[in-house]
Amino acid sequence: MGRRILFSLLLSCALLQVSCSGCDGGESKGAQPTDTLPLLVTQIQKCSRLYTTEVRLHKIVTYDDVVRVRGRLFAKDYAMKLPLGDRKVAIPMDATLKAYIDFSNFSEQNVSRMGDRLTVTLPDPKVVLTDTKIDQDGVREFVGLTRSHFSDRELTLFEQQGRESIIQSIPQMDIIERARASAARQLVPIFTQMGFREENVTIVFRKDLNVNDLRRLLEN
Amino acid sequence: MEHENSRQKKSLAERLTSPAGYWSLAATGVVLLVVMMAWLLRNCMSEPLLSIERSDRIELTPVQIQSIRDIGQWEFLSVTDEELVDTVRKGLFRDDHLVRIYYGTMRLGIDLAKVSEGWITTSGDSVVLTLPPVGLLDERFIDEARTQSFHESGRWSARDREALYQKARRQMLAHGLTPQNLRSAEDNADAQFRRLLRSMGFEQVIIRFGRE
Repeated sequence: MGRRILFSLLLSCALLQVSCSGCDGGESKGAQPTDTLPLLVTQIQKCSRLYTTEVRLHKIVTYDDVVRVRGRLFAKDYAMKLPLGDRKVAIPMDATLKAYIDFSNFSEQNVSRMGDRLTVTLPDPKVVLTDTKIDQDGVREFVGLTRSHFSDRELTLFEQQGRESIIQSIPQMDIIERARASAARQLVPIFTQMGFREENVTIVFRKDLNVNDLRRLLEN
Repeated sequence: MEHENSRQKKSLAERLTSPAGYWSLAATGVVLLVVMMAWLLRNCMSEPLLSIERSDRIELTPVQIQSIRDIGQWEFLSVTDEELVDTVRKGLFRDDHLVRIYYGTMRLGIDLAKVSEGWITTSGDSVVLTLPPVGLLDERFIDEARTQSFHESGRWSARDREALYQKARRQMLAHGLTPQNLRSAEDNADAQFRRLLRSMGFEQVIIRFGRE
């Protein structure tokens, strides 16, 4: 009798464990998540950067994981897709790029005044990726019955590859030229308010940039 | 003679049906099977007989430019931060954890779009600058696609990840957007504008900051 009771108790515990494990896949219903573990690494840097152009980008990273059985028998190749063995995920993400002029080393050498004429030589514009945001609501996963769900590590790796791809595509955008024109549009009104006539103000930039220069100016 | 032959046949049948006979037959079968397998392998060694292949490939759609706009934001202090953020879901027998490391850079400075009319006034070699208050230039400053997954147990939804992102954002703001950092950014703005205006030929420079 005692053994039966013990067996029933163990069976109930096992069933509870199984049912609780099944709850994990839900939308965190039940117990409220709590947060702990604070840690920070902070780097503070003084600078002087005039951001002149902002570009907002959108990208979708997709990943397709198909399992096939492949082999060769009696000099004949065969390949068979495993049923219910597909995994797919699509991750939409947004990113913001900004182009800026670095004024940290700006000095008298950048300014030339000849009477009422003013010439300002500006350093190379640079581009920085200021933020990326994953559209978590827009992420779509399709996982076959025989496969496991995407882990958090896998998802973050895909996102990192998407970010890298955005950085690689910056030189194809015309952001540097746009930043130059925008810098002039921002600075000329400042100089005119200082008393210079607009037609007497000249903003000069470095020589035309080639693709290699562009890659050097990316700061990410 | 016939009697002798039938006795030999009988003895062979007896031997085959005896336990030793069964073992001999089984051993012969195994040997034949091994020989057959060896033959098959020899003929199929160039390609594996059976392999499971995963075609795991990442496809990247072209980057879409949603908008390009001119801005005039002057940054004077950048606070680069990384935060280890975790969430725990309590269970009856075990707890589930999700731990991620988020990276972000808060940029403190002034937005030239917020300057008031007549923010620069000059008189001879003197200039007076009235700047808008120093603040956070971007509300979105986390580089979420750079996030690293540190630990995961149990399954977590997109909503949980979004909540973790917001948690990281709050922590970064608490650590980065401090009165000390705002003051430091303002001091640097003062120094940088003073240097810029002096290089333009103004001897007397007065800089004022607006307040929120």
